[in-house]
Amino acid sequence: MAPAPDEIGELIAHTALGDRRAFSRLYDRTSAKLFGVCLRILRERMQAEDALQEIYVKVWRNAATFSTGRASGMTWLISIARNQSIDMLRARIPQGEAIDAVTELADERPDPERAAASAQTGARIDACLDELKPERADAVRSAYVEGYSYNELAERHSVPLNTMKTWIRRGLLSLRDCLERP
Amino acid sequence: MAERKERDEEARDLLAAQFALGTLDLAERREAERLAAAEPAFAALVEQWQERLAPLAEGYEPVPPPVAAKSAIEARLFGAPQAATGFWHSLAFWRPFALAASLLLVVSLGINLYRWETPGQGGSLVVSLQSVEASPVNFVALYRPDSGAMRLSPVSGEAGIGKDFELWLIEGDTAPVSLGVLPKSGVAEISLPPALADRFHAGTALAISLEPEGGSPTGVATGPVVALGKANPI
Repeated sequence: MAPAPDEIGELIAHTALGDRRAFSRLYDRTSAKLFGVCLRILRERMQAEDALQEIYVKVWRNAATFSTGRASGMTWLISIARNQSIDMLRARIPQGEAIDAVTELADERPDPERAAASAQTGARIDACLDELKPERADAVRSAYVEGYSYNELAERHSVPLNTMKTWIRRGLLSLRDCLERP
Repeated sequence: MAERKERDEEARDLLAAQFALGTLDLAERREAERLAAAEPAFAALVEQWQERLAPLAEGYEPVPPPVAAKSAIEARLFGAPQAATGFWHSLAFWRPFALAASLLLVVSLGINLYRWETPGQGGSLVVSLQSVEASPVNFVALYRPDSGAMRLSPVSGEAGIGKDFELWLIEGDTAPVSLGVLPKSGVAEISLPPALADRFHAGTALAISLEPEGGSPTGVATGPVVALGKANPI
């Protein structure tokens, strides 16, 4: 169970003031989730550990740019973690290579995110994703969770690159319109 | 015209969406980041998308990192590993060590900065700008009175998006004089005009305030002072 978002936001705000105890508590509350993000996207333990260190260094240095009331604390942290991991992933895999390995790994996974996302907070976005064609909803979901590039997504779904770009872009716009529907 | 504007806005929102989703390649990601840093409106679009997509993060299973990871991070940020509980954790206990560490840092930076001097030029001043009210901002400055040249080196702290640090010289009770906006990162090289150089001596203070991007619009500090220190001879 994730801690209450406002609590995390408060710890970030204290961290912004240079409070090391708040930073320590923030780490204790959130590092398992963020390490989960790094591992899932990078799929390599050593690199995931490097990523985690970079992430918390950024959290300490950039805490002042987090403003409570806009994004939730946990969302802010997960964005930093995903950005760091995806940057490292993109820097590592030359576009077009190593996709076989990634596909194999991905195929071993049943689809836990679908089940998990249906719980609580995910209900709304899940309903909106359900309005998309299933393969397009899958592409959006796996792009987010696994950090796949367009090339990897196109390969996995056996469609041309431009088709995949269209799927994702249209998917995102439909998702936005659905989520903003009152 | 209006149609075109709408199309442009849609394209920007899509760029923000794809950045938040993570599908862009490295070069496109850098471009989106540059745009977010330059334009708060675009940064807000990215944030909106991060918030919209956030429920998908339920798909990440928490995995406890190795125990050593935390102390490695703290050692990298704070220089010394911290023990887990009790008075070891208290700020009062750590403050002298933090001060000692920052003095050490000033000394070692001072040595490095000293090397910057050519031999035979004495009378240099060093200023350690310490954080004010627990801000994370620390700078160290070296000033050479003979040439009016000053080097200001960041130790920690960043102004953040849409903000800049501005440097001020304060001599005695006189009003602060702006020495300009500091670069976003790296060492600032500042050349003091003769009129100001005359006012820079041991005991003169330097202060850094947090200002809107581009510096104070009024000529006096408008934001909080985040670091402050007085010049000492070395």
